[in-house]
Amino acid sequence: MKLTINGEVKDISSESDTPLLWVIRDELKLKGTKFGCGAGLCGACTVHLEGVAIRSCITPISAVEGKHISTIESLSADSQELHPLQEYWIEFNVPQCGYCQSGQLMSASALLKNNPQPSDADIDLAMSGNICRCGTYPRIKAAIKAAAKKTEVVDLSYALDVSKMSS
Amino acid sequence: MNQIITSRRNFIKASLTGTGSLTIALALPGCQSLHSHSLQENGNWEANAWLEITTDNRLIFTLDRVEMGQGTYTGLTTLVAEELDTDPDLFEIVFAPAKTVYRNRDYGLQITGGSNSLSSSWQVLRETGALAKLLLLKSASDVFQVPLDDLRIDNKHVVHIGSAKRASFGDLCVIASKQSLPSDIPLKQPSEFTYIGKKSKRLDSHLKVTGQANYGIDIDIPGMRYAVVSRSPVYGTKAILHNGQSLIGVNGVEAVVQIKSGIAIIAQSYWQAKKAQKRLNIEWSKNPSMVKNMEDVFTLYREKSEQDDGDIKREEGDVESTFDETTDFLNAEFTTPFLAHATMEPMNCTAHVQKNKVDIWTSTQAPDIAAVAVAKVTDVDLSEVQIHNQFIGGGFGRRLSQDFVAEAAEISAQTGGVIKLVWSREEDTQHDVYRPATLHKIKVALDENQMPVAWDHQIVAPNIMDWYVWDASPAMFPWSPKFMYSTLGKVGLLTAGSPVTPADTSAYEGADSIPYNFPSLQVRHTKADAGLPVSYWRSVGHSHTAFAIESMMSELASQANMDEFLFRKKYLTESPRTLGVLEKVVDMGNWGQPSEEGAYQGLAVHKSFGSYVAELVELKVVNEEIKLLRVYCAIDCGLVVNPDIVTMQMESCIIFGATAALYGEITLKDGVVQQSNFHDYPMMRMNQAPEIEVAIIHSDESPTGVGEPGLPPLAPAIASALFKARNQRFRDMPFKLA
Repeated sequence: MKLTINGEVKDISSESDTPLLWVIRDELKLKGTKFGCGAGLCGACTVHLEGVAIRSCITPISAVEGKHISTIESLSADSQELHPLQEYWIEFNVPQCGYCQSGQLMSASALLKNNPQPSDADIDLAMSGNICRCGTYPRIKAAIKAAAKKTEVVDLSYALDVSKMSS
Repeated sequence: MNQIITSRRNFIKASLTGTGSLTIALALPGCQSLHSHSLQENGNWEANAWLEITTDNRLIFTLDRVEMGQGTYTGLTTLVAEELDTDPDLFEIVFAPAKTVYRNRDYGLQITGGSNSLSSSWQVLRETGALAKLLLLKSASDVFQVPLDDLRIDNKHVVHIGSAKRASFGDLCVIASKQSLPSDIPLKQPSEFTYIGKKSKRLDSHLKVTGQANYGIDIDIPGMRYAVVSRSPVYGTKAILHNGQSLIGVNGVEAVVQIKSGIAIIAQSYWQAKKAQKRLNIEWSKNPSMVKNMEDVFTLYREKSEQDDGDIKREEGDVESTFDETTDFLNAEFTTPFLAHATMEPMNCTAHVQKNKVDIWTSTQAPDIAAVAVAKVTDVDLSEVQIHNQFIGGGFGRRLSQDFVAEAAEISAQTGGVIKLVWSREEDTQHDVYRPATLHKIKVALDENQMPVAWDHQIVAPNIMDWYVWDASPAMFPWSPKFMYSTLGKVGLLTAGSPVTPADTSAYEGADSIPYNFPSLQVRHTKADAGLPVSYWRSVGHSHTAFAIESMMSELASQANMDEFLFRKKYLTESPRTLGVLEKVVDMGNWGQPSEEGAYQGLAVHKSFGSYVAELVELKVVNEEIKLLRVYCAIDCGLVVNPDIVTMQMESCIIFGATAALYGEITLKDGVVQQSNFHDYPMMRMNQAPEIEVAIIHSDESPTGVGEPGLPPLAPAIASALFKARNQRFRDMPFKLA
C-alpha cells in the first residue's frame, strides 16, 4: 500500500486495518503525532486528511490510501519559519507538558484554514475534541485569536496594495 | 583538579573532565561523589554535574527535577543562567540519570513531586552559576592581565570593559577548572536580577509546538518489539489459565509470557499485539477480600470511624470538655471518591535487560525508584540499571509509581531484546494507583451566638505510604543488598516520621495546618484502607482536606448568619498571608456582586506546599448543568522566578480541580473499576472551561510551590457557589445536581 504523507509517497508494509496513527509513528517514525485514547475521544492524534482535521487513532490506513495526509512535522515549512499558530503558541507560553499540543495545533490550523476569522463559539466547537489535561485552554484560545488577527492584518495590507495598483 | 568548597549549606565542586570540560557539581560529604577523584581521570565524572562547560563553548545543564509541564526546564535553568549572566536560551538541557547526587534533598529520593523543585534548588543552582562565573572571571583576569573589576560576562563570553579583549567560556574553561575555589560564593540581590522574576518564554515551547519533544512513548530502538499486558480486572488476583500459546506465530505475535501483573503479548507492532490481545482468554484467581463497590468502601470507612477515634494530628485547647459543656453543634460529613490521574501520555516503558546491564527509556518522576523496580524483577544489580528519562506527558503523581517500568523489565528479562510496553487508555484508567477515596467528619461546637468554639475534624483515609514504601525505601539505601528490600519496606513503615523516612501526612495534610484560630480544635486521622492501590495525586491530601474544611467554613458562616469572607477574616488574625490572598480575590472578583444575572459566587482559601491560594468562582446553572463562568485566583508563593509559569500553573490547577469537582469519579462494581476512557472518565474541555484571572502577591519570602496549590481551594469555592444556586449543600464530590 502507498500513503501520501507530508507530500511524500511512502510504501507501507503494515496491515490495512492498522490505524493511521501507528503507521505514522512506528513505521514512518514521525513521532510528533501522539497516542492518547485510541478511541477518537481526546484529539492527541489529530492530523489533516485533505486539509480536514481527523483522528488518526481510529482511521484505518485502508480508508486514506491515495489521499493527502499531513502531520505536525509539516505544519511549518522548516523549523526556522513557523506557522503563525506555532509562533503564538510560543509567544503565549501555551504548552505545559506539551503532549497534546501537536493535536491542538493540527485542529487549530484546520480551523483557520477553513474559517480565518473564527468567533469564540467557532473556536470552542473546533477545539472541544482536543483534551488538554494541563488545562492550557485559555491560552490556546488566545493564541488562535491572535493568529487569526495576524492573518487579518496580512489580508488588509494585501488589499491596500491592490488598491494602490488600480489607482 | 578537584576541589570542594562549603558554601552556606552546600558542598560545591569544580573540576575538569577527561574531555576538557569544566564541570560544576554538588558534592555530598562522606558520600559517593567524593570517590569521583578516581572517576575524574577517565572523564566520566560529568555525569554527576549540573553544569558542564565544554571547550567548544557549549553550556550543558543537567535538569534533575523532571519536566512534566510544571516548568522546571525553564525555571531551574533560569536560576543558573541568572548568576552566570547568560541568556537561559543558550543552555543545552539534558535530563538527569538516576544518581544519588540528584536526590531531592527534602525527601532523600530522586523524586519530582510535592511542588518543591524550585524551593529546593533555589540556593544550590544559583551557587552553581555563581561559582562558574567567579572561576571564569578569575581566569580571564589571569589571561588578559587586567583587574577582575574590569571584566563582565556577556552571554557565554567574558569581555574586558574598555578594550576589545573577549574570550569565550569554552576558551577559559580549562584554566577555570584550575583556579582555587573561593571561600564563599556571593549571590545577586533580587534588585540585580535580569532573568528571575521577569515574564519570559518557556524554553521547551519550540520543541513542543513542532512535535520534536521526545516523550517516553516516542522512544524507537532498532529491532525493538512491542508489548501489551492484560492485567487482572480485580486487584490482587493472578492469571491461572490462558490460551496465549495459541496466539504465538500468528499475525506477528512472537511470544506470550506471564508476568506478575498479568499476561504479556509480544509482537512486531503495537497493533498486532493489540489485536491478539482481543483473542486472549484468561481465567483469573479470586480475591474474596476485595471490596465490591463504593458503598462497601464508605461502609468500611464509617465503621472504622466509629471503632477507632484515630491518631491526633493537631490539638489546641480542650475540645472534649468544650463539647461536654455545649448543647449546640454543627455536624457535617464530606466524601471524596477515588480518582485516576489520566495523564495524556499513557503509561509506557522501553526496556532492554541484558546479563549485567539494563537500559530503561521512560518518562518517570522518580528515576531512582524506577531502578529499584527493575532490580527487584531482574537478576541485575541496582548499579547496573541505566534510566534514560524523557519529557513527561503529564505526571500529576502517577509517574512516582514505577509499576509500568517493572512490567517492561520483567517482559524483556523473559523474552530478551528491547521491549516497548504501551498501556492503552483503558488500561491506564483501570490499573492506576488512585487518589484515595476519603470520608471527613467535622463536628463544631457553637456558642450562644452560633459562633464556633471547638472544631473536631476526623479524617478517614488510607496511608499512601503503605502502598508506596516497598519500592521507595530501597531507593533511599541503594547500597543495600536485594534480599533486604522487603525488610527495608517494613523498616520504612516502622520508622515513618523519623529522620530515616518522612512522615506520611498524605491523609490529613492541610487539615492539621488549618489557619483559623478557634478557641479549641483537634484533627484526627483514622486509617482505613479499602484494598484498591492508592498513590499521590496532584496536591495529594490537600485535594480533599481543603474541600472539607472550607465547605465547613461556608456552612458555619451561614449558621452564624455572616458573610463567608468576613466570617473567615474573623478567624484569620494569625495568618496574614492567608488573609492577604483572600482579600485580593474578594477585590478582583467583586465579592457579593455577581457580574451577571443568574450567576452565583463562591469563595475558598487554602495553604499547601508553602503557598497561599484563594479562589473566587462564578457559576451558573444552565439546563440543569453547572457552567463555570469565571475563576479569580490570588497566590502568594514568595519570590517569583517566572511569573507567567506561576500563572500557567494556577490556570492548570483550576481546570484540573474543576474536572475533579464536576466529573471526577472512579467507581467499583464487583471489585472492577467501571471507568475506562474519556467518555466515562471525562476531562474538562475548552467549551466547558471558565475564564481565569490570576494575581500574584508581591513577596520577597523564599519561593514556595506552584504546581499544586491552585487546586485545593477550587472544589469548596464551587460548592459554596452551588449552595447559593440551589439552596442545598454539596458535601460529596463530584457535585451532581439532584
